[in-house]
Amino acid sequence: MRRLLYIWRKNRLTIFIVVTLLALIYISPLLWMLNTSLRPTWDIYRFPPTIIPRKITLENYIYVLTQMSGFGRYFLNSVVVTFSTVILVLIASAMGGYAFGVRRFRGQNLLFTGVILVLTIPYIMYLIPIYMMEDKLGLQNNWLGLILPYVALNLPWGLLIMRGAFSTIPLDIRDAAIIDGCNEFQLWFRVMLPITKPALAATTIITFVFAWQEYMFASTLMTKNQWQTLPVGIVWLRDELQTLVYGRIGAMVVLTIVPVFILFLAFRNFFIKGLSEGMLKG
Amino acid sequence: MRRRAAGIQVVFAALSFLEIRKAVISQRRKRYIRDRLNLLIFLLPTIFFVFVFIAFPIGYSAYLSLTEYNYARDSAPKFIGFRGYIHTLFHDVFFHDALLNQVKFAIPYFIATFTFSLGLAILINELVFGTRFFQVLFYLPMIIPLSLVGIIFAWVLAPDIGIFDHILRWMGVKNWNIDWFGNPYTAIYCLAIARSWKMIGFTLIIFLAGLQAIPRELREAAKVDGANFLQEIFKVVLPNLKPYLLIGGIWILINSIKTFELPAVVTEGGPGTSTLTLYLYSWKLAFERLDMGRASQVAYITAAIILVLSWVLNRIFRPETARRA
Repeated sequence: MRRLLYIWRKNRLTIFIVVTLLALIYISPLLWMLNTSLRPTWDIYRFPPTIIPRKITLENYIYVLTQMSGFGRYFLNSVVVTFSTVILVLIASAMGGYAFGVRRFRGQNLLFTGVILVLTIPYIMYLIPIYMMEDKLGLQNNWLGLILPYVALNLPWGLLIMRGAFSTIPLDIRDAAIIDGCNEFQLWFRVMLPITKPALAATTIITFVFAWQEYMFASTLMTKNQWQTLPVGIVWLRDELQTLVYGRIGAMVVLTIVPVFILFLAFRNFFIKGLSEGMLKG
Repeated sequence: MRRRAAGIQVVFAALSFLEIRKAVISQRRKRYIRDRLNLLIFLLPTIFFVFVFIAFPIGYSAYLSLTEYNYARDSAPKFIGFRGYIHTLFHDVFFHDALLNQVKFAIPYFIATFTFSLGLAILINELVFGTRFFQVLFYLPMIIPLSLVGIIFAWVLAPDIGIFDHILRWMGVKNWNIDWFGNPYTAIYCLAIARSWKMIGFTLIIFLAGLQAIPRELREAAKVDGANFLQEIFKVVLPNLKPYLLIGGIWILINSIKTFELPAVVTEGGPGTSTLTLYLYSWKLAFERLDMGRASQVAYITAAIILVLSWVLNRIFRPETARRA
């Protein structure tokens, strides 16, 4: 018995060590980028390369934040576009989620399946007509031109999550609210929305993460440099600066990841729950 | 006289009854209309976004795919029916390259993502402590934009000064000196690895959810019956995980075709056409050559491939899942 227990424990320890090693290998590209961003340029381009930096500085970060006006602009664009997208998706999916989760109407399932199917269709199929449409309407090269398609692309996730949340609310609550004299909007806003707060949080974080990293729409619809978001802008900067500035590019990469990383840490349980719910149903 | 009065009263009663009914009906009807109107208001944002930015584009690109339309030159699309599809499918050399590259990309990508995340999920599920920490760590690449993943990998795999080559040299592989992304034989596989680096988190979520759904007693019973760890995994855990494996597999497949950022950022389809994927090809047709008709054809063929593949996967695994559920 004792021996069995011993082996069991030993097994756990081996597993722990294996997972730690895998995690180290797995995360090493990111660590290497972080490492690069903290070194002065002469240290980065030494041959042969060294893993441990000879000197740690923040000069790359300072340079990016003070000298590169493009980066600030991209950051602003990303923030504006992402926040507007999140807010619009929240409103639309909270309303739509209520309609799909609480109400019953003809064509409900068909409409919902259609919305979900969107997740599997290649985005390029929307991109071509949307590009032509925005070209005609003059929506290119402004924030709105990016926000509207982003809302449409992220809405299916939000609807999936919000419908799930609304459909678990017991109908007694609804009846009680109606007897108390609520009209439907009060019922939705005052009574039901507070209950779905976790789902709203999940929608927020998922939409934020997706909108923050979108590349294809941003690179196509925004043709002028000053309207680019971060994922595209950094690539442009890289092409502009050519190769010998990986320290600065590293700093930009890290600065791009940090805001979304903080949000991710704060909301990670909602993120995971929302994603797994969405993926398992989708 | 009295009779007449009674008659009038009856008429009045009937009239008032009808009146009340009418009132009730109209009230009910009003409520019904109000109800529908409310529903419509709730659905309005969804309908607006879905129809304007999803349904209309799908329909319009379906139409475009049946036309010949150069966005810069032609004033309106010219309808040519299915001739465009036939040309793309059978005579377009670049399309064949893109299709082949897609397969070359998808196979290592699928295998790497699937096995690695499944193995990790099983291992992480066994951990006694540190589960949360490792979960966060493996989910981390999910929040990194794909274009930046491309930049990161381009730096790690850079020739000569890249750390990967350095580690190879340190391990004794002296004269490989491969330009990983500049070499037509390796570039697509390196992209596949980079893509799967980011994807692993997603499938890990699915598989962990599946593992946690397996009842403890089942595995305890297997242990009592004398199964060792591997037997337990293969005989008890994996069969029970099948629906989740299916979902994970479909997600990996769908995402393997949605590959645009990495080849666009790191290799731009090159060297030659060695990393030209279907997505990138369609994008290049549309926004470099402004040939919207052919771009839509490629997009539609891509969508058809995705649908057929997920349907086939579903067919292969469905009976098992149905029986279990």
